[in-house]
Amino acid sequence: MRLLVLLWSLGPLLWQLRTSMLRPEALVAPLLEGNPWTLANYQLVLSGDPPFWRYLGNSTLVGLATTVLTLLLAVPCAYGLHKERGPVRWGVGLALVAAAMFPTVLLFLALLEIARSFGLANNLLSLSLPYTALSLPLAVLLLRAAFADLPGELEDAARLEGLKLGQRLKHVLLPLLGPGLASTAILVFLASWNEYAIALTWISRNDLLTLPIAIARLGGGSVFTIPYGAFAAATVLGSLPLLLLVLLAQRSIVSGLTRGAVKG
Amino acid sequence: MSTRTSSLLLMLPALLLLAAVFLYPLLRYSWLSLHASSVLTGLVPVPNGGANWGRLLDDARFWTEAGQTLRFALCSVALELVGGLALALLLNRPLRGRGPLRALTLLPWALPTTVMALGWRWILNDPHGPLNAALRSLGGSSYGFLSTPATTWFFVVLADVWKTMPFVALLLLAGLQTIPADLEEALRLEGANRLQILRRLTLPLLVPYISLAVLFRLAQALGVFDLIQVLTGGGPAGSTESLALYAYLNAMRFLDFGYASTVMLATFLLLLVSLGGGWLLLRRAGLERTSERPA
Repeated sequence: MRLLVLLWSLGPLLWQLRTSMLRPEALVAPLLEGNPWTLANYQLVLSGDPPFWRYLGNSTLVGLATTVLTLLLAVPCAYGLHKERGPVRWGVGLALVAAAMFPTVLLFLALLEIARSFGLANNLLSLSLPYTALSLPLAVLLLRAAFADLPGELEDAARLEGLKLGQRLKHVLLPLLGPGLASTAILVFLASWNEYAIALTWISRNDLLTLPIAIARLGGGSVFTIPYGAFAAATVLGSLPLLLLVLLAQRSIVSGLTRGAVKG
Repeated sequence: MSTRTSSLLLMLPALLLLAAVFLYPLLRYSWLSLHASSVLTGLVPVPNGGANWGRLLDDARFWTEAGQTLRFALCSVALELVGGLALALLLNRPLRGRGPLRALTLLPWALPTTVMALGWRWILNDPHGPLNAALRSLGGSSYGFLSTPATTWFFVVLADVWKTMPFVALLLLAGLQTIPADLEEALRLEGANRLQILRRLTLPLLVPYISLAVLFRLAQALGVFDLIQVLTGGGPAGSTESLALYAYLNAMRFLDFGYASTVMLATFLLLLVSLGGGWLLLRRAGLERTSERPA
């Protein structure tokens, strides 16, 4: 049973790995002689113009900027929502859920207009603005749940000690929020790393493409001319950072999503 | 400053950004959908009454694709739900190596859609992909998985299920973890078998989680874009084109922003109606389940 599940989940990825290490001729028909295995596909991808690691760097930069910005906005918002009572709490909560479900692609045209009129296109840091907005709903809902888990007496005690709101957040609440912050950060980073529709329309300069767009562009030609080996190498290289992240942060991701589901 | 005003102030920056990114586009599309704004008008919006909406009503491509998108979303969500439930039940059992197993099953969901879409394009390749190689070694002949208009949509569903099932499984796993083990134990002592426990205890208690997963995934699937753009480009013969892809083409290829806005708004309305319908159905199913439950 476990084996079957693993085969289903990893099979397509392992096939990519295999494809990435085969010589192009070996993809079409079994080689009659010679060694079918090669690393040439990786060399091809890494020596491209711009080299492949550039896209990894771009995606990482956008991901980090988005994560920082999202947390900066989401922590106060989640705290405010946690404290809020009555129709505002209800209304904001509902709006956040609605925004979290909204399909991103439907936003791209209006956002592209904004990007053009404010000169935000072709800039990785400005790309993190819409990304932050896309991540905020889930981040606020997760962090509100995390705030709700903290014992209320703790903050009351800090207030009685004369600590102001900013101090209470910084010295008392945030240190306790660690796990919630970590899982939120990882989910935000993943979402921004994988976003497609907005990056596709905001970024046109070749050296600024994020990874998903770069990979889609590689595959944009006709089916017959696609050097699948090279693309497989690109997808393997593009998957490795995520594989590491998921393996290292599995517990955080699972607890983040499950808490979001329980409380959100 | 009172607590109330300060909590509003704390929320303000985030809410402003959200309004700019979610609310403004909807208002802008509403306005643009009442204007002609295309190459013909020099990309300057000119009011044209309801001409865009009239065109939409007569646009066979739009309505065909509305059907295709709905079919894709319903099949995809249904399969994900069944598969995701099975996966969640497995991952909830005390297995050896459960942590790594959870991480590895989560991997398809964590990868960029375009990466896995290219992967599937190769797997489904005719004739060099592994699926066709397997077909041939079983004595069959190669099949045009991505070039047969009647069936290609199903393989797009398959790729989508592969990618998003782990997410559904994780949400349901969250629900399973809230079910106290002694409830299950009590039913077992009464002589209930695993299927009965699933029907009488697990599923009724999972209804809120199932609803959440279904509504969330339905919304995402109705807006499907990147998977289809990379895997099939909408083909063969437009048989897998989704509404979101059509809206994108109207804007970026035909440079018809007025009509693209109309298609986006119409897609959004269709999504609202579908979600509303789904919600009502789930509510009714939930009520029936609760009333069925043994006291």
